[in-house]
Amino acid sequence: MAHTDTPTVDDEDSGLRRSITGKQLFFYTLGDVLGSGIYVLIGLVAAAVGGAFWIAFAIGVTIAAITGAAYAELVTKYPQAAGAALYINKAFGSTALTFMTTVSFLAASFAATGSLATGFSSYFATVWDGPPALLVSLVFLLALVVVNFIGITESVVMNMLMTFVEVAGLLIVMGIGIWYIAQGDADFGVLTDISVSGNPALAVLAGIAFSFFAMTGFENTANVAEETIDPHRAFPRSLVGGMVVAGIVYVLVSVAAALTVPVDQLAGSDAALLEVVKQGILPFSTDFMTTLFSIIALIAITNTTLVTVVTQPRILYGMAKEDVVPGVFAKIHATRRSPWVGLLFSGVVVAALLLVGHFFQTGGGIDLVNRLALVTVVLLLAIYALVIVACLKLRGRDEDERTFRANTPLLIVGLVGNLAILGFSIYDDPSSLIWCAGLLAVGVVLFLVEYAVGSRNRPQGSRRGDPKTADRKEV
Amino acid sequence: MHVIVATDGSPQSLAAARHLKSFADPQKITTISVVAVIRPLASVAFADEISEAEPPGPGEGAGSFRDAAQGAVDAVAAVFDDWGPSIDKQIRSGSPAAEIIKLANQHDAGLVVVAAGGRGISDAILVGSTAQRVQHYAPCPVLVVRPAPRTRKGAQPKV
Repeated sequence: MAHTDTPTVDDEDSGLRRSITGKQLFFYTLGDVLGSGIYVLIGLVAAAVGGAFWIAFAIGVTIAAITGAAYAELVTKYPQAAGAALYINKAFGSTALTFMTTVSFLAASFAATGSLATGFSSYFATVWDGPPALLVSLVFLLALVVVNFIGITESVVMNMLMTFVEVAGLLIVMGIGIWYIAQGDADFGVLTDISVSGNPALAVLAGIAFSFFAMTGFENTANVAEETIDPHRAFPRSLVGGMVVAGIVYVLVSVAAALTVPVDQLAGSDAALLEVVKQGILPFSTDFMTTLFSIIALIAITNTTLVTVVTQPRILYGMAKEDVVPGVFAKIHATRRSPWVGLLFSGVVVAALLLVGHFFQTGGGIDLVNRLALVTVVLLLAIYALVIVACLKLRGRDEDERTFRANTPLLIVGLVGNLAILGFSIYDDPSSLIWCAGLLAVGVVLFLVEYAVGSRNRPQGSRRGDPKTADRKEV
Repeated sequence: MHVIVATDGSPQSLAAARHLKSFADPQKITTISVVAVIRPLASVAFADEISEAEPPGPGEGAGSFRDAAQGAVDAVAAVFDDWGPSIDKQIRSGSPAAEIIKLANQHDAGLVVVAAGGRGISDAILVGSTAQRVQHYAPCPVLVVRPAPRTRKGAQPKV
């Protein structure tokens, strides 16, 4: 028998070291949440609501932050990377539901990546208007896949730097707003203006649905839960804290945008925040500021997209390990230790989305990519509602005195909020249900492929995921 | 002498451990530290391809990379069962090369054993692998075990 080392080593050396500090987690959340929505989607929210669109942002981020609190509670109980799928499995014990959760997340993530890549090309065009937008999006995507394969994404310092740049960009927008107000030109009347015909409450609700998309991304922080130092204290603080800060920034930025730029102009712009800078309110060269801001926006979008591109192969890897998708997705590259099949698959799916979306749109169709991104919000809302229910249902299980407990009435408010947005999204646009069904059908196809292919290497009569069949895989 | 054996969960790292055992004199080794480093921000933070742990059921915590790392460390440590030197198991997180070198410094190690990944074009183009960095910056000699040719189809190289 090998005798184990006597435990003379100090705490730092106990062999269980974690590496993500609370502060790093805070910036990870902030960077993950900030880039996605504000740079890409602010125009859409403005179009839906009118000058008062900051209200939609305020309510949207509040509901999202409450959902974040439910996540934080669950993460401190089960600090693993599987996220929502794991919690829903623990609470409801249904394989089908768990599978659908994972597929929905994956679909939402693919659509979000497509939307972000399109957003990237919009801002890129303001720096160098040479190459066609589709090409820029595809090269951007390819670069991120390669970067992820090599493993450059793993730098914590890089992550923090990019987040600082992101925040700096939004500070510029807020600075412009303050300068404008200080000059006395601001017309605060615009902030209460809901310029849409019809029911103002419905208009705000529409805006909330869009702005909710801007808050998605926080669930990716569950990825690093296992490696967070002192997760019971650090996780709730950093996750909810990061979301609250992101929410405040969103509201301030949207107020600044509403004050300085006519709403029609915001609504019609592909790179809406750039319109604020282009107003030339600050006493600097507008050309210089425009270029600077575009570069900041590009970095911000890159940061967020990187995290989504990291997440997709991870989800696929987890699913392959659990034997719900073909095992090939768990293939790890010998040298780089990255899940190259999953990564390649993600890249191809998003590229296909971009291509189909492009030709669909030039053929007179709708903007497919953004349509998908918003449709997947419906899926996400359903999952978030389920996560809150799971959180309440798992109360009293796997708890110890260190477990973070989210405020229960607040969770119920969050649940009602999620369901209200969900209900409205479907009421407002029943066709989104067809889209969701289509996306889920893709998931079912994946499931069936695994069923057909995977059943060959599973002993007769055994169930999928049956632990007794563990030896079927030659490792 | 204190020896650090690093594992990334690959069959090559298991082969590296066996290679050490095939020629080294257990009398001269006091302790072997088996270390696995988790990369928290990577797509797959740790992939265990060597232990015989049961795969989880659907939705059941396939996300625990700590468990995967523990499995790999246990599998590599099992190579040195009954060999003599005492065994110390470590799981860390961060940059693999940096953590391995840090550990070597802390223990005043006399040897670091790592596996080099694949052979071929990817190895030539994509610089910056863990083995290369460890070779450059380790405070002690480094044994880099290259995979045997023609065993790249996932089969465990025989040592």
